[in-house]
Amino acid sequence: MTNASPFLSVRKVSKEFGGENRADSPIKVVDNVSMDIDEGEFVVYLGPSGCGKTTLLRIVSGLESASAGDILLSGNAVTGPDRKKGMVFQAYASFPWLSVLDNIKFGTRYRTDIGDKEKAEISKYYLHLVGLGDYADFFVNRISGGMRQRVAIARTLAAAPDILLMDEPFGALDAQTREFLQEQLLEICRVEKKAVIFVTHDVEEAVFLADRAFMFSARPARIVEEIDIASVLGAERDSRTKESEAFFNLRNHVRELMRKQAQQNI
Amino acid sequence: MTEAASEVVVRGRRQLVSLLTFRGRRHARADFVLGVIAFAIFIAAWYFIVIAGIVPERFLPLPSTVIQTMLRLLTESHFLNDIWVSVARVWGAFLLSVVFAVPIGVWMSNYRLVAALLEPIVDFIRYLPVPALVPLLIIWFGIGEASKIAVLWMGTFFQLVLLVADDAKRIPREFVESGFTLGAKPFQITRDILLPAMLPNLVDNLRITLGWCWTWIIVAEIVAAKSGIGHYIWSMRRFLKTPEVMSGILVIGIIGLLTDQAIRAWHRRHFRYL
Repeated sequence: MTNASPFLSVRKVSKEFGGENRADSPIKVVDNVSMDIDEGEFVVYLGPSGCGKTTLLRIVSGLESASAGDILLSGNAVTGPDRKKGMVFQAYASFPWLSVLDNIKFGTRYRTDIGDKEKAEISKYYLHLVGLGDYADFFVNRISGGMRQRVAIARTLAAAPDILLMDEPFGALDAQTREFLQEQLLEICRVEKKAVIFVTHDVEEAVFLADRAFMFSARPARIVEEIDIASVLGAERDSRTKESEAFFNLRNHVRELMRKQAQQNI
Repeated sequence: MTEAASEVVVRGRRQLVSLLTFRGRRHARADFVLGVIAFAIFIAAWYFIVIAGIVPERFLPLPSTVIQTMLRLLTESHFLNDIWVSVARVWGAFLLSVVFAVPIGVWMSNYRLVAALLEPIVDFIRYLPVPALVPLLIIWFGIGEASKIAVLWMGTFFQLVLLVADDAKRIPREFVESGFTLGAKPFQITRDILLPAMLPNLVDNLRITLGWCWTWIIVAEIVAAKSGIGHYIWSMRRFLKTPEVMSGILVIGIIGLLTDQAIRAWHRRHFRYL
């Protein structure tokens, strides 16, 4: 490790909920998690439902505060949410009163580093990057769920975040749409070269997308295993990746890890 | 029977079955026809009761008499003035109520401190019956315009502020959090996300609240006023001019219906994305 501070550093982060009232004792959700993430790296948080991985992501975004520990982004402590930590939510968070293009443009609204002309150009650029050029003037509840998530991704990217945080963004979509969007997301990441933290409980999705995956335990979330996927599958992935033997073996390994953790939840 | 005619019969029967099915499907035309039939029965029963002499015409004039009286009144300037006075009072008080209720309601939803301070008071006053406040408001504000506005304001503000706070609270958490992660400050989130997101519901609630204003204005005008539709109805009662009394009531209904439909039409056009 060099002396330079890592791009994103999660340092001994823990989170407890509740305990404000005398009646309920606090529930530990995240337990002493540490990790460093490099610039441009695609990291996946994998774990059983309700394990606390989403909470950890929200702490990284600044939407939630840690009970103990720090998050450092480019060496600066994260104290609250801002434009640097872009978030894509599981639920559709695009605005129904705006068109597809205006939703994407909303991402540039609070940028002070560029003028109106550039904002319009950037919005158009991301509209086309996510493949919604033909739907610019549609209201978002006239388009499919997959398209709505693409709008959300484009809107987040238009805000020029340092890191892209994704909380089960494809969780509500059908299998075909999901696969298509996974491939498109990798394509977008190739162009954007941004660090991503992607939360999911879908093993196949995790193995397909990740450079590095963190397997979390059932609640409270602790790192069970760090899986270096890029060294096995390489950085480049496409639809054929899922048919390779390396993918098959890795997926089975991770699935076995997942099964052990999920059983503790039942 | 021709094929076309038999098809009409079949379709008619299917609609009839659907109307009688538990939670059956809706047929716009069948609904309309039934509405007209019910209205016709109502008018016919009215005519029958009067013509058969069950109720004397002095108490219950014929529908046609009421309509004729209303049309005549609508050409008389004193009655038009009464309508204008009531409309002005309703809208004046209503807008005054909105100007206070919307910012305070949104503020209540944004900051727990404001909600915790205001909710108990608002809830308490909300349950005070407005007619019971009329005498008090007359002591305070006299019998001029101020007391009318005060009655309407008391009757709507406390309801509206809670409706606004509820609308604002129902905005999905993701909308607000998206705002934060796109770099918005709280006041920007309020202006650019909360208000547009809640606007369709807000307009609906304003429409409903405006309807209440018409209830309270009549109460206020009957108790103490020298003008307005409520005053007109009350003074005609003294001379037992039943057609005039009913005309006054009918005019209020028509104004209410037209306003309501106008706001609905605006709502449909303006919120096409819904």
